[in-house]
Amino acid sequence: MFFKMIRGTLLHQWKKMLMIALTIALGSSLATAMISVVMDVGDKVNQELKAYGANITVVPKQSSIVSNLYDVEDETPGSAYLKESELGNIKTIFWAFNIVDFAPFVTTTAALPDGTEIHVVGSWFNHHLDLPTGEQLDAGMSSLRSWWDIREGQWIDEQSDTGTDVVMIGAALADQEQISVGDQISFSGSASDAKLTVVGIYESGGDEDNQAYVPLHVAQSLADLSGSIGSIEVSALTTPDNELAKKAAKDPSSLTVAQYEVWYCTAYASSICYQIQEVITDSVASPVRQVADSEGAILDKTELLMLLIMFLSLVGSALGISNLVTASVMERSGEIGLMKAIGAYNRSVTALVLTEILIASIIGGVVGFFAGIGFAQIIGQSVFGSAISIRTVVIPIVGVLVTFVTLAGSIPAIRMLLGLQPAEVLHGR
Amino acid sequence: MKRRKMLVRMITASLLRRRSRMLVALLAIAIGATILSGLVTIYVDVPQQMGAQFRNYGANMIFMPAEESFTDADMQESLSTISSKELVGATPYQYNTVRIHEQPILAAGTDMAAVQKTSPYWLVEGQYPAKTHEILVGKNVAESLELSVGESVTVSFTPEDKSKLDSTIDFQITGILNTGGSEEEYVYVSMEDMEELTALPAHLDIAEISVSAGSAQLQTYVDEINAGNTDISANLVKRVTASETTVLSKLQALVLLVTVIVLALTMICVATTMTAVVSERRSEIGLKKAIGASDSGIIAEFMGEGILLGGLGGILGSVVGFAFAQFVSVNVFGSYISFRLLLLPITIIVSIAVTSVACLLPIRSATSVDPALVLKGE
Repeated sequence: MFFKMIRGTLLHQWKKMLMIALTIALGSSLATAMISVVMDVGDKVNQELKAYGANITVVPKQSSIVSNLYDVEDETPGSAYLKESELGNIKTIFWAFNIVDFAPFVTTTAALPDGTEIHVVGSWFNHHLDLPTGEQLDAGMSSLRSWWDIREGQWIDEQSDTGTDVVMIGAALADQEQISVGDQISFSGSASDAKLTVVGIYESGGDEDNQAYVPLHVAQSLADLSGSIGSIEVSALTTPDNELAKKAAKDPSSLTVAQYEVWYCTAYASSICYQIQEVITDSVASPVRQVADSEGAILDKTELLMLLIMFLSLVGSALGISNLVTASVMERSGEIGLMKAIGAYNRSVTALVLTEILIASIIGGVVGFFAGIGFAQIIGQSVFGSAISIRTVVIPIVGVLVTFVTLAGSIPAIRMLLGLQPAEVLHGR
Repeated sequence: MKRRKMLVRMITASLLRRRSRMLVALLAIAIGATILSGLVTIYVDVPQQMGAQFRNYGANMIFMPAEESFTDADMQESLSTISSKELVGATPYQYNTVRIHEQPILAAGTDMAAVQKTSPYWLVEGQYPAKTHEILVGKNVAESLELSVGESVTVSFTPEDKSKLDSTIDFQITGILNTGGSEEEYVYVSMEDMEELTALPAHLDIAEISVSAGSAQLQTYVDEINAGNTDISANLVKRVTASETTVLSKLQALVLLVTVIVLALTMICVATTMTAVVSERRSEIGLKKAIGASDSGIIAEFMGEGILLGGLGGILGSVVGFAFAQFVSVNVFGSYISFRLLLLPITIIVSIAVTSVACLLPIRSATSVDPALVLKGE
């Protein structure tokens, strides 16, 4: 009899049931979309903030003070350098997956044919790397210098057939020397000479505008530094620093074993630096505070903002659902009064109403969940140009939320049903 | 006249007698209006608030001397071009090579209070210099010269004029500077100490300016400053401005899209609730028709109710929504926002429109039916 009545409701009052299911679907799609977006927004914004360039620099131990401070022009081989052969190790650390990109740099000086001395920087542009682990990747500086405007030509393409005897020239230098794309220029370095083709002219808005960028091995042979590199810039996805990270950054050995494990296994800038130092011999890796610190602040703010917006929409959809459930139960007071008049117990009336609503909410919830995934993808694709990853934890959260909200929304309605006097209702008051 | 009176009486009576139903409807509208006004306020304020966060990246404009150097007066004159609301900070720098422990080191004379505004990411172990003859030492300098906070250090400067003697001042180290960048290789003192040490005429080598404005506005400022003062060449720090534009536009698009989706879903939600509340009254509509009410009269009455509810809900929602936006602003960005008066009529109009549309559909279907059928319950 119970099931017959439910089937009856579903068949004859399908319009009302559809309305409840629709509202619940809307509410649950909102919840699904917002929770998914909030869970992923940190990663996505972090990815966007990579536009500011590297957040970790690696330099040889006891190096920089001499070369940078006095601007020494004639760096002699024998001063501290990192080994090029160890570069791939960066992708083998615990947080390898968080390393977005990295590039080695070696700076030397060379003279142009007219005698002008310029800084020549060797680096990777889109260098192909086969790792000992069998993985392959392309690493290079083009993503670490996203603010450069290529005024003419293009970035150096290390994988093209045109050869690697190429150079990119800074805009100021190009104007001064009247160089344009396609020109052949000979550079005479401290160790050897090279004849390079200009493939691009860039505008950086900084000192680099007076420099020339060449593939790493070209700069190395100019200065006879084969196998050596001056510094590495690493762009990594990091977790904003907290107290533990600040303490560890000062001295990792001051941590207890448990704290150390937590720190080592969290993607703080300081723990990634520590792990890079472990795999690169005689290196000092340090976070670039201008980038790392600001990233943390912006990430925290964005996540908190989205969390509060999510909270508002969850409350909104919860109230919306419970409101509609109340309205639709009130509407049926006549029918329920009749049931009570012919002898239905309060218990069975409640069970009947709840079951009906739960059926509608399950259908609505499932439909809404998939619609919500769709909305999350619309947001992901149109804002960040990549899919929002849907985590399985969203399913139980939304499930519990919808069930709870539906049941809670039914409470005032059911209390009202229980208080109904059949005679009054049927009389029409 | 009588008609209008009757209409008003019917509407108010209906709202008062059917309190619980009307409360449900009002709540639904108020939720919709809250979300509308709250999210729109946040959306409008986010670019400005987030923009302020991005100033954490430091200076986005640099003043360089067009010739040799410029003076503080030049800098102040150029700064007056920039609206004081948008100016976050401006830090002058004067660089000189000094000697500490007989090692040549680059020293910068600067304004310590301004530095903390233009370079908020600087991490100082200890404290910024506050009194005269105090010095901030870069981490690399401190490590190589084995200096630490609290120690006293003698800084000497050799004038270009060989006939003069070296000047020396004993400085107290108050802090070690940690940035992960080239700043770690400098030492910083106050501008007055620098002038006392070098005895050079007051001049600036560079000034870092942090302005909270979009890239187009920044470019306008740069052009104006370059046209106005011939001693200063203003430049944008492309790394900061270009990246900020990229990231900020994404964040704005994110909040916009979220706002649109949340609003659309909430409005549909409000509409379904209203529809449910109105559908219930089919028999009432039938009865009115049976005793001779015209279709347009019934629609006018229900619309009147809808507009009243929409207006009330809209006002309620505007207030709660603003409270929410204020809560978000204080908790996320730590600043207060001002109430946007324009948003009040918009919220009310949208609430009324959504309510009216939601009522219209069930009323139309009810009025188009034969009263006898409705009253019979079919």
